Amino acid sequence: MAELLPKPRPGRRAFLGGVALGSVAAFTGSHGARGASRTEIAFASAKFFGKETVAQVVEMYNASQSRVHVTYVELPPPSASTEVHQLLVQQLARQSGSPDVFTQDVIWIAEFAGAGWALPLDQEFGADVRKQYFPGVVQACTWGGKLTALPWFIDSGMLYYRTDLLGNEAVPETWDELVSLAQAAEKSGHARFGFLWQGKQAEVLVCDLVEFVGSNNGAILGPDGKTVMIDDDKSVQAVQFMRDTINRYKISPQDVLSWDEEPSRRPFTGGQAMFLRNWSYVYTIAQDPKVSSVVGKVGVAPLPHFPGGRSAACLGGYQYGVNASTKNREAAIDFVRWMSSPATQLHFATELGLAPTRPDVFDDPKLAQSQPFMQKLKPVFLGATPRPVTPKYAQVTLVLQSSVSRALADGNVKQALAGAKDRIAAIVAS
Amino acid sequence: MTRPVAIGSTLRTAAPSLAIVRGRRVDWAPLLLLLPTTISLGSVSVYPILDGFWLSLHNTTLSTREDRFVGWLNYRLLATDPDFWGAWRHTLEFTAISTLAETAIGLGMALLLVERFTGRGLVRAAMLIPWAMPTVVTSKMFGWLFDGQNGLVNWAFRSLHLIGGNIDWYGSPNTALGTIIFADVWKTTPFMALLLLAGLQTIPYSLQEAARIDGAGAWQTFWHVRLPMLVPILLIAAMFRALDAFRIFDLVYVLTGGGPADSTEVLSTLTYKTLFSALEFGYGSALSTAMFATEVLIAFCFGILIVRGMRRQGR
Repeated sequence: MAELLPKPRPGRRAFLGGVALGSVAAFTGSHGARGASRTEIAFASAKFFGKETVAQVVEMYNASQSRVHVTYVELPPPSASTEVHQLLVQQLARQSGSPDVFTQDVIWIAEFAGAGWALPLDQEFGADVRKQYFPGVVQACTWGGKLTALPWFIDSGMLYYRTDLLGNEAVPETWDELVSLAQAAEKSGHARFGFLWQGKQAEVLVCDLVEFVGSNNGAILGPDGKTVMIDDDKSVQAVQFMRDTINRYKISPQDVLSWDEEPSRRPFTGGQAMFLRNWSYVYTIAQDPKVSSVVGKVGVAPLPHFPGGRSAACLGGYQYGVNASTKNREAAIDFVRWMSSPATQLHFATELGLAPTRPDVFDDPKLAQSQPFMQKLKPVFLGATPRPVTPKYAQVTLVLQSSVSRALADGNVKQALAGAKDRIAAIVAS
Repeated sequence: MTRPVAIGSTLRTAAPSLAIVRGRRVDWAPLLLLLPTTISLGSVSVYPILDGFWLSLHNTTLSTREDRFVGWLNYRLLATDPDFWGAWRHTLEFTAISTLAETAIGLGMALLLVERFTGRGLVRAAMLIPWAMPTVVTSKMFGWLFDGQNGLVNWAFRSLHLIGGNIDWYGSPNTALGTIIFADVWKTTPFMALLLLAGLQTIPYSLQEAARIDGAGAWQTFWHVRLPMLVPILLIAAMFRALDAFRIFDLVYVLTGGGPADSTEVLSTLTYKTLFSALEFGYGSALSTAMFATEVLIAFCFGILIVRGMRRQGR
C-alpha cells in the first residue's frame, strides 16, 4: 500500500494535525519533563471512570517501577466514539510516534492495523499468552494473522430474562424455546412484550445481526476478511428470524425497528417484557429500585442459538494498541504488558467496573466479592463474537445497517442481503 | 468587479475628457476599502468551497492513507450511487413539502397577527417559542409525542377511533419522513410567519381602505391587493426557508439516524456518515459539492421568480 502513497499535501495534513493537537492537550507536551533516567511515553485513551479513573491506574504503573514514565492523555468518552476515532486517526496518520500507546474500540483494530499504524505484538505475546484471553477477543485483536492489539476489557450482548415469569422453566437455549416461552408470557398477560431487541438503523443493529447470524453458525465476512457470507442461507435464515419475531411470532413489537439500546431497555426495567437482548450496563439499572420495577427478578444468560449452532455474543470493549512509529518500543511494551496483566485487569474490574478479558480473573474471589454480577458473565463472554474484521469496517457497517434495516422493514430478506453482499464485496476488494 | 466600471462611468460623464481619466493613475482608496471584506469573505466562504471541490477530485481516505488525484471519478461514482440519489430525493421531498406547508400556514398566521386585537403582543411573542427552542430539544419532544408505544399522538388517534392499533411512526418507512416533516413545520412556521408579518406591515393601510370603499370584500382585498404586494417578500422568505430546509440534519440525526431502510436518509446525514464515520474525505466532499450545486440551483430558480415578480410590479 505504501508505494501507492502520493506525496502528502502538507497544507491539509498540517491543518488537520493542528486541529487534533488543539483539541487534545498536546500529546507530546510533557515529554522529558521528568528525570532523564526514565523513558517518557504517552498513552491516549477514551475516558472511562468508576470509583477510580484511568489516570489513577496509570499513576499506579508510574509508581510501581522506575524505568518508564507514562503521560496520560484523556480523549472524549466512548459515547462520543466518532470523535475518539477521528482524533486517533489524525494522530496516528502523522506517524510521529505519539501517542506511543493508545486504546481502541474493537471495530477499529483491523483499520489501524491495515494502515500499518499498529505494531504487531506476536514476538512479545506468543501463543501461550494469547491462550490466557477469551478466544473472541484475541480473534478481534488479530489482523492478517498477526496480533496487533492487546486485550483490555470486554462487553458483549446477553440475554436478560425475568426470573419470576420463567418460574420452573429452564432458561431458553434455542430461539425456538425463547419464542414459545415469550408467546406464553404474552398470552397469559404476564408480559406485554415477549422479547425486545434493537433494530434501529444504527451500529447496534449490526451487533444484533452478528448475534443472530453467529448463533446459526453463519458469518458476515469469512475469516480471510474478503469472502462475503451475508447472503448465505444461514444468514438469510437468521435475518428472516429477526423479522419473524415481529411479524410472525409477534413476540417483539414493530417498535424495535426504531429502537436502540435505551428505548428497548425501558419497557424491560419497567416490568413489561419477558426477555431483552442488551449490554451489561442494564443490570445495574434493573437493580436500582428508583428506576426499576423488576429489582431482584432479573437473570442473565448467554443468548439462545439456532438448532446445531452455538450462542454468539457481539463483542464490544476497548483494547490496547502500540503505535508502529513509537520511538520507545520497549517502554511501550512494558506498559501494555502491565496494563493487560491479571492484577491490573482485576483492579480495572473492581475499581472501574470494566470486565476482564482473561477468564482466569473471573475466578478470583475478590471479583466475586466486589462485582458479583460481572463474575457471572464468564459463560456469556466465552461466546463473544467479533463484528466483521476488516480495515474497511466503517464502510461495511453503513451498508449492513442500511440493508438489514431494509430487509426487516419490507421483508425481502434474500434480495436485501444479496444487494448487501455485492456492495460489501466491492468495498473489501478495493 | 462592477465597482471600477461604475467609478469609470461616473467620471466619464463628469470629467471633460476621457483621456484624462485613462491617463490618471488608478484610485486605490475604494479598492483598499473593499479589501477587508474581500479577504474575510474569501477566506471563510469562497476558499472552503473551492478547497472542498478540489478535495472532491481526490480519493482521500484518512484511514487507508489513500490520497490521489482521481479527476471526476468520485462524481462518476456519485451518478450511479443509489444511496446518494435516495438521499437527494428525500432531501428535495423534505424541502418542498416543508417549505410549502410552512409558507402557507405562516401566511395564515401572519394575516391573523397583523390585525389589531387585545393581547396581540402576547400572542406574537408566544408564537415564537417553537422557533426559539433548540432543535435537539424539539427532536426529543417529537420523539416522545410520536413514540410508538406511549406517544400522545397514538393515544389521541386511538381515543378518536382514527386508528385501530398503535402506529410506529419512526419505525416504518411509510411514516418516518412524514413525521419528521411535521416536526419541522411545527418548529419553523413561526419564523415564516414573522417574516411575512413584517412584509404585510409594509403594505399601506390606505390601499385596503381604498379597496373597501370600492366595494371589495375581504377575500378580494387579499387576493388582488395584499397578496400581489406581498409576493416578493413571500418568495424571498420561501427561498431562505428552502435553502435552510435543504440542509436538514439535527431532526433526522436525533430521531431516526437515517432509518428505517434509509427512508429518512438526507444529504446532510449521508455526508456526515461518509466524512466523519468512514473518514472518506474525497467522496464526502463530492457529496457536499453535489449538495451545494443543488442549493445553487434552488436559489437560482427562486431568483428568477423574484426578479420576475419585481419587474411585474415595476420596482
